[in-house]
Amino acid sequence: MEERKYDVILATLPATKTRLEVLFRQAGDGFLQVEYGRVQRANLLDSFRIQTIDAKIRQAAPKGFIETLPGIRTNMIHFDPEQLDVMKLIDMIKGFEEELEDVDHIVMPSRVIHLPIAFEDSETKKAVEKYVKEVRPDAPNVINGYNLEYIALCNGITVPEVKQKLLGTQWYNSGGGFWPGGAFLWPMDPRCAIVVPKYNPPRTWTPEGTVGIGGPCVFTYTTPTGGGYQLFGRTIPVFQFAQKHPLFKDSPFLYRNGDRVQFHEVTEKEVLDIFEHVHNKTDYVYQIEDGEIVVKDYIAFINSPEVVKGTAEFQAKQAEGIKKAPRL
Amino acid sequence: MLKIIKPGIETIVEDWPGRLGYLSKGMSASGAMDNVSLQFANLLVGNPTGEAGLEVAGGYFEAEFMENTVISICGTDMKPTINGNPIPMWEAVPVKKGDVLNLGVFGEFGFRSYVAVAGGIDVPPYLGSKSTCIFGSYGGFEGRKLAPGDVLKFGKPARALDTLAGRKLKKGVKPEFARTWELRAIPGPNTCPDYVTKEGMDYLYENEHKIQHTSNRSAYRIEPVPEYFFARADGGVGGSHPSNIVDHGYAIRGTMNVCGNTPILLIADGPTLGGYINVLHVINADLWKIGQGTPARDKFTFVYCTREQAIEERKKQRALFTEDNVTK
Repeated sequence: MEERKYDVILATLPATKTRLEVLFRQAGDGFLQVEYGRVQRANLLDSFRIQTIDAKIRQAAPKGFIETLPGIRTNMIHFDPEQLDVMKLIDMIKGFEEELEDVDHIVMPSRVIHLPIAFEDSETKKAVEKYVKEVRPDAPNVINGYNLEYIALCNGITVPEVKQKLLGTQWYNSGGGFWPGGAFLWPMDPRCAIVVPKYNPPRTWTPEGTVGIGGPCVFTYTTPTGGGYQLFGRTIPVFQFAQKHPLFKDSPFLYRNGDRVQFHEVTEKEVLDIFEHVHNKTDYVYQIEDGEIVVKDYIAFINSPEVVKGTAEFQAKQAEGIKKAPRL
Repeated sequence: MLKIIKPGIETIVEDWPGRLGYLSKGMSASGAMDNVSLQFANLLVGNPTGEAGLEVAGGYFEAEFMENTVISICGTDMKPTINGNPIPMWEAVPVKKGDVLNLGVFGEFGFRSYVAVAGGIDVPPYLGSKSTCIFGSYGGFEGRKLAPGDVLKFGKPARALDTLAGRKLKKGVKPEFARTWELRAIPGPNTCPDYVTKEGMDYLYENEHKIQHTSNRSAYRIEPVPEYFFARADGGVGGSHPSNIVDHGYAIRGTMNVCGNTPILLIADGPTLGGYINVLHVINADLWKIGQGTPARDKFTFVYCTREQAIEERKKQRALFTEDNVTK
């Protein structure tokens, strides 16, 4: 007992040719963490698998099941242990895992949400101004009053190239969390995988609709709040507390797990008009398409010579860029 | 109705178990920080035990009743008075229109006091709960703490008011308050050997930990862990600090997050996902003690607990809130 008292892995499934080892970790009396592999990594293929299993768990919803909270390489299951035995829950998930041996065969539902963005708009510029004035006057990530040049520096590219990369790929939602209505958005195209350090210290204010990036993830701010992501500009509401607009009638959230976001550039005026039509006139029509991710095709895409070459070239630029960029 | 004269340090509307099911939408459950006191207070005035009441943190609360009703106050002893005359706690007390309820400062033991009113506090449920999330500004009374002049409505009492007055808890039922709170805790999901050393886990379980003054409804912080705590040099792609991990869901309420070197209990309004390890979990039946822990004064100890014991404690605790424990 003494030797094993901090053992928390309740069960495992061995790695297969196309699946990492699955670890079932004790996480309290009402939670179970399902982890894929023992090495920290952020790989969309893990998320496709997690989302597919997650859909099965939510659909099965055995008595006592409360909810799931998927991340990029883990899933957290919340349940009432008086009604649902954790070992039974593990057996159920193991069953789903065995049924889905091969990630290549996954075809998962995934909507495409088209979001307009106004780069370096005046409202998010105010957030940067406020930061310099009140928090960090010498902030090295603020160049010419904004963060775009710093994002470019860190990645060894130009500002127009930064914009092109944000617009040039779909951004995949591995799951929400952290902030109401938020989503962690990852680039589908590795050639667009910009990476930046977060603000140090964080901002005290960021307006609703701000589009930012921290580490490899893009985030669209749902409500005014603090935050640490480097800013691109502003998009339209993706969340509505008051649930006045018909899209938000049943729930205040726009994003679902597994959605993809496609940004397109517009003027600041257009973004502001849409704000008015979402929050006040409530007649804006969101551009959302149903769709799916065919994992086999996606693997072929990321392994195609063109993408492999482009990714390697970009990573070489990033390696140079991060050497030159000032530390935060 | 109740008219707020002085809202005190932080008085908010909370119910129990709070807003379940939205972790992956970035919404923690919120709910009463000390659910045991809230549930007893509700039981005494004939409400469903999870009904919304007022959570008075710190104290200095004053309000005037605009109708006759029956109230009950449970939690830390803030020396409650009606029109200047002391009234008993842990007991149903009739009040009349025009009566002024006053609560002083938090007592020798505990930090939060709960005021239940026959019929409960009538605020519109948001996503299935009347609880306020202070951190996200939603739920409860207009998503915020109460202010002078606010008027709260009451629901319809379940029983005739004259049958409620004088109801109190049987001897020995009242929970025990302390200065050093023993929190039973289950290790995981990130423990040894991969994340934390055995000595590091022992450190948490074998010492008293002072509650830091920076604690609030999202996070209760304790003193930093020693150097030998971590079993690894860094967090791999999760980040440069050994407490870093690729973002994962947090088992909230109750998980202990280690953020840099600072252990943080994530509770009511805390973040639901992030990039730090979670080393242990305070069992559901002991969450209430965190809420009574007085920042900058009280201490926590962590007592090793198994999942099986934790489930037994849930059952025992649930059995407390029954008519069998009420006398007149």
